[in-house]
Amino acid sequence: MTLQQQIRSNRFRSGIVVLGFALLLLVLAGLIGLVLDVSLAIIVLAIAAAYGLFGLLSSRSMIAGMTGAQPLGPEDLKPLRRLVDNVSIGAGLPVTPELRIVDDPAPNAFAAGLRTTKSYVGVTTGLLQAMPKRELEAVIAHEISHIRNRDTYLMTMAVVFAGVIALIADIGFRSIAYGGRSRKAGGLIVVLAVVGFILAPFAALLLRMSLSRRREYLADAGAAEILSDPEAMALALRRLELDPTTIRYGNTSTAHMWVESPTDRVDSMRNGVLELSSWFNTHPPVRARIAALEDAGGFRLPDRLPADTPFAAELGLDA
Amino acid sequence: MLWLWIVGGVVVVLGVVFVLGYNRLVRLRNEVDTGWANIDVQLQRRSDLIPNLVEAVRGYAAHERAVFDEVTKARAALQHAAGPGAAADANEGLTVALGRLFAVAEAYPDLKASENFLQLQNDLTDTEDKISAARRYYNSTVMHFNTAIQSIPWVLVAKPLGFRDREFFSAAGDTELPQVSFSQAT
Repeated sequence: MTLQQQIRSNRFRSGIVVLGFALLLLVLAGLIGLVLDVSLAIIVLAIAAAYGLFGLLSSRSMIAGMTGAQPLGPEDLKPLRRLVDNVSIGAGLPVTPELRIVDDPAPNAFAAGLRTTKSYVGVTTGLLQAMPKRELEAVIAHEISHIRNRDTYLMTMAVVFAGVIALIADIGFRSIAYGGRSRKAGGLIVVLAVVGFILAPFAALLLRMSLSRRREYLADAGAAEILSDPEAMALALRRLELDPTTIRYGNTSTAHMWVESPTDRVDSMRNGVLELSSWFNTHPPVRARIAALEDAGGFRLPDRLPADTPFAAELGLDA
Repeated sequence: MLWLWIVGGVVVVLGVVFVLGYNRLVRLRNEVDTGWANIDVQLQRRSDLIPNLVEAVRGYAAHERAVFDEVTKARAALQHAAGPGAAADANEGLTVALGRLFAVAEAYPDLKASENFLQLQNDLTDTEDKISAARRYYNSTVMHFNTAIQSIPWVLVAKPLGFRDREFFSAAGDTELPQVSFSQAT
């Protein structure tokens, strides 16, 4: 597949997943309305909306807090900021995203922010120590295409959606279990509802993770396009894969944001089929991501990574 | 009655398709314009740096007049260039002239060590990096736009609607491809 085709098919699948979320929400609300009470369904939806809105609005500061990303002073790391500037010009972003540094030896990066004009890119100090300029540029281009594709927004929505669905399912389940008398219907439909309330959070999680994996491929393709250099992205991924350190701040609620997954343990593809255990991963296997870039760019990565000076040397940071 | 419904339905569907397609073309054209504005800003920045650079070198090598003239002319050509193709040519010309200027500067160690000169050289390199980034984006928007108005059915109506092919920002004899998109612009 060409890059353009990849981007298009990724957009399409993301759309389907979002639709899935909306359907799941409707089904849950419908079940509550059917089995318990229509007014309860409305109240629950209202609570969910408030909860969702709060989650969206506070996500920016919450993410900064959870990752420990520090803003920079006006004179700090100028060459790095210049690099971010150039990448975002190449991506055609109207405003260069703010740059934040996470003090962590594991090489990784993330993007956050609901709006393109109010987003920021976080990179770890470990990334600067590990990556030469060309690959660092690719990683930053990956994060910037997350911002350009509105992935930061979409993924925040997905996290909030998954949370809301878990909340509603919980309320529904408890109402049936403890509020026996307020029940309208009986028999089979109650059993169905209970099964629905139990399965819905898992379905939401599954959707959220598959959405996250889609967006990773899309951002890889975008980074290759922004820099006209798919090999740089593939090299960066290989370097990240070979690096044994994982991020300290890695937790399941922010895992989807990083360029390389800090939480996924299983990274296997057998006979081209993703194993069941990796369905709950936020990121596709690094091998598959590299393979997609190799297909699009028509190259094969060398077995060994070229030994280059890390960008940190150019910034005057000590190793 | 049934015929009326069918004809009406077809008209409505065609109308919707047309509106969506037209809006897409307008969006693509606006992206091209923004992309061009990005390049223009950086080209302007580049030519703004030139007079200071020439002055800095003149302070050490006043007799190298031919080189200064060449750079000044190349700068004027860039400022008066009309259209992306011509601007790319003029920008290329400026790069060549600046190459000569820096070759001259090589012979003056004091100049090369001066704070002011180093700063200007740094700014110039940064601007050149930004131009090439902006160019990649611009050329990709041009490719998308041109492909869109050259595809059926828009190729039939693009001209009457005022959509014209846009020029790539690439100098004549430029061997580098407009952009690596891995799909052919038709």
